[in-house]
Amino acid sequence: MFRYLMAVGLVLFLPGLYALGLSLYDGPSAWMVDSQTFWGTPISLFVFWIGLAHAGTLLSAVFVALDIKLDRRTALIAELSTLSSLVFAAIYPLMHLGVIENFYMVAPFADARGNFANVRSPLVWDFCCIAVYALLSLLFFVTHLKARKTPSLEKYRKPMAWLLFPLVLWVHTIVSLDFATTFVPEWRGAFFPVYFIAGAIFSGLALVNLILCTEGYRVRLLERLQLICSWFMCAIWIWDFMLKGSFCTSAFVFAGLFPQLRMVSVIRENKWGRVALSLSVLLGLFLERLYLVSPEFGSSATATFGWVDLGLLMFSVGGFMLVFFGARRLLDRYAESAGSYFGEVDGSDMAKAEEAEEAEREGFRGIEKTKKGFYIQPWSSEEYRQLRFPLLLGVVVTALFTLWIFEQQSFENVELSFANVIPLWYPLFAFMAALTLFVRAYFVEKSFVLHRAEKIIGGALLLCLGACAGAFFAGGASEKPVEQFVRDMDAVSGVHAEDLNRVAMVWNARCATCHGTDGRFNEKFVREYYPVPQKLDLARLDSLGVDSLVRVVWNGRNNMNSYAGRLTLDEARGLVLYMRHLAQKVPEEETEGKK
Amino acid sequence: MTPLANALACLIALGCALFLWRKGSSPYRNGALLAGFLLLFGVFTYFGGEMFDARSINLSLEMYPFRMMALCLCLSTTSLALYRRRYLVLAQALWFWVELFGGIALFYRGLDVAWTRILAIFWMGFCSTFLSKISKEMEFCLMVFWLAVWVFF
Repeated sequence: MFRYLMAVGLVLFLPGLYALGLSLYDGPSAWMVDSQTFWGTPISLFVFWIGLAHAGTLLSAVFVALDIKLDRRTALIAELSTLSSLVFAAIYPLMHLGVIENFYMVAPFADARGNFANVRSPLVWDFCCIAVYALLSLLFFVTHLKARKTPSLEKYRKPMAWLLFPLVLWVHTIVSLDFATTFVPEWRGAFFPVYFIAGAIFSGLALVNLILCTEGYRVRLLERLQLICSWFMCAIWIWDFMLKGSFCTSAFVFAGLFPQLRMVSVIRENKWGRVALSLSVLLGLFLERLYLVSPEFGSSATATFGWVDLGLLMFSVGGFMLVFFGARRLLDRYAESAGSYFGEVDGSDMAKAEEAEEAEREGFRGIEKTKKGFYIQPWSSEEYRQLRFPLLLGVVVTALFTLWIFEQQSFENVELSFANVIPLWYPLFAFMAALTLFVRAYFVEKSFVLHRAEKIIGGALLLCLGACAGAFFAGGASEKPVEQFVRDMDAVSGVHAEDLNRVAMVWNARCATCHGTDGRFNEKFVREYYPVPQKLDLARLDSLGVDSLVRVVWNGRNNMNSYAGRLTLDEARGLVLYMRHLAQKVPEEETEGKK
Repeated sequence: MTPLANALACLIALGCALFLWRKGSSPYRNGALLAGFLLLFGVFTYFGGEMFDARSINLSLEMYPFRMMALCLCLSTTSLALYRRRYLVLAQALWFWVELFGGIALFYRGLDVAWTRILAIFWMGFCSTFLSKISKEMEFCLMVFWLAVWVFF
């Protein structure tokens, strides 16, 4: 069965890969872009896949945290679907940026490198939240997988589940704020965090129910939840309609009305009926994402869903099928013993879990029952080591991060509020707490046993991460001196090629994110930040004068940050002259283009 | 929204809370009730906040039905038979969530964040985690606190 599904995935994936290559080559003009919001298909697909990625954590972590029983097989499948979905969710924001090689600019290093277009942008939160969510989901999945052979790992699942429970909601909240913090009328909605979470849970449930159909069994609890979620979504859509007067009818039909057919027993009891209901929900929610990201979708000739958009969708669906079912087969073969097939669904696992919980209640965690009541040893108890110490460490690191942010010299001229920083708190806190738990399990208790291949892969990943973090943080390009250039450069002409290169490097490191490498500004990226900067125009630059422009670079203006303390005055002056040099080139190229 | 309508919203949430989590009720019943309540809160906000009048639209009302829903859930947890503290904390966490992130969204659109309300809910939620036994008196105090936060903050 899985092989056939992988073959179907491959058939979808290959043409999709071509569409992806074409999109990367052509840039944003290749896919559907809304002329009002300047967002398009990649963001729709990002929101769609990040929503699907919530299934694993919802069904596994949240259920573990709330003591709702779910068999091991379903939980593992759900967790694996999260990881597979995250792979594709991560690809699309990079495409959307337009300048893929500059993606590190949204890493949460605040302004250490001095190259953020806007430190207050919600896009800064996305990278941090999704990266931490992916890492913790992977850790949670591996812990669950290894817990069968190493039962001592089981006790780490609940603390991790409680860390992941808010994190999964946090991630989608942050994604919703990318929309809700803008001035686009269709994205007006302080309720978007709840709306997005409800939509994500709904689509995640539909995906898991669909996958369970391919596994040949069903979990009625999840089907019921799917139906209940559809009622909530309908209520939210009606509120959205009352607020804005617009409505995505197709989403309402596919994800709101069709799922009600579950109440018909003939459809509910039929496997293909259940498949159709889950597919209908997924289709409806995908259409909703398209409509949400591109409000012109379906009503404007410019916002049409073309072949490239379809190819991008096929790439993600086919890719997901390949990754998910491929990993499923691989894990079945190597990680689980033959025949156990990812755990059983006869309830034996649940019985074991209940026994373990019972044992835990009877005097584990360092809680000693006395006649007078409970006495919890403050520093040496198991509970302290497993729960309170990681949490305390998380709080301390988060507090230090916040202090560091506000102490950054470059922010003295930027009005930074707690509201700009709070969205980063929980991911940092959860990351530190989970890291502490992992260190304890691996180094202190030695219950987290890794094979040689796993160690090599883990070590390589860590090295890679460290190298990337170091490179992003340290930068380097902007540290080259430009005094020589400023001394030698004529304000209008006679620029020496070598000096020009030096200033160009500063320009590319500090200014190109918004203004573009050619000075015509990176429109795709800059549209996220209102108001849009002025286009470089020779007459305008001359009218403002070099000194005035140096002052703008130095003090900042509108959404442009101040570069005082991060550039020398000579560098700022060099940039202004380079800007003028670029402005000279723009009309020349445009004239040539017209010819 | 006028203070009177705001207080009425509080009463509506309290009334709706009475119907939730009845003994032996199915998830379908509770789910349908919650979705129905959300719809009711939406309609109340639309007319109570005069949102049909484009000139008097108050941005902070965008999340008002969800705030009402969170308050309703908080109030309803006092009638739970099992796991009362857990769901009481979770309901307050939901309220805190709606207020905090709704506030951040509005902050980016030029409105002030209601820090007093957010902090009040946070501290109450945090302190609730230490409740070992929730007596009738404590239930009453909690409800009074929530209603006070709703009306005065």
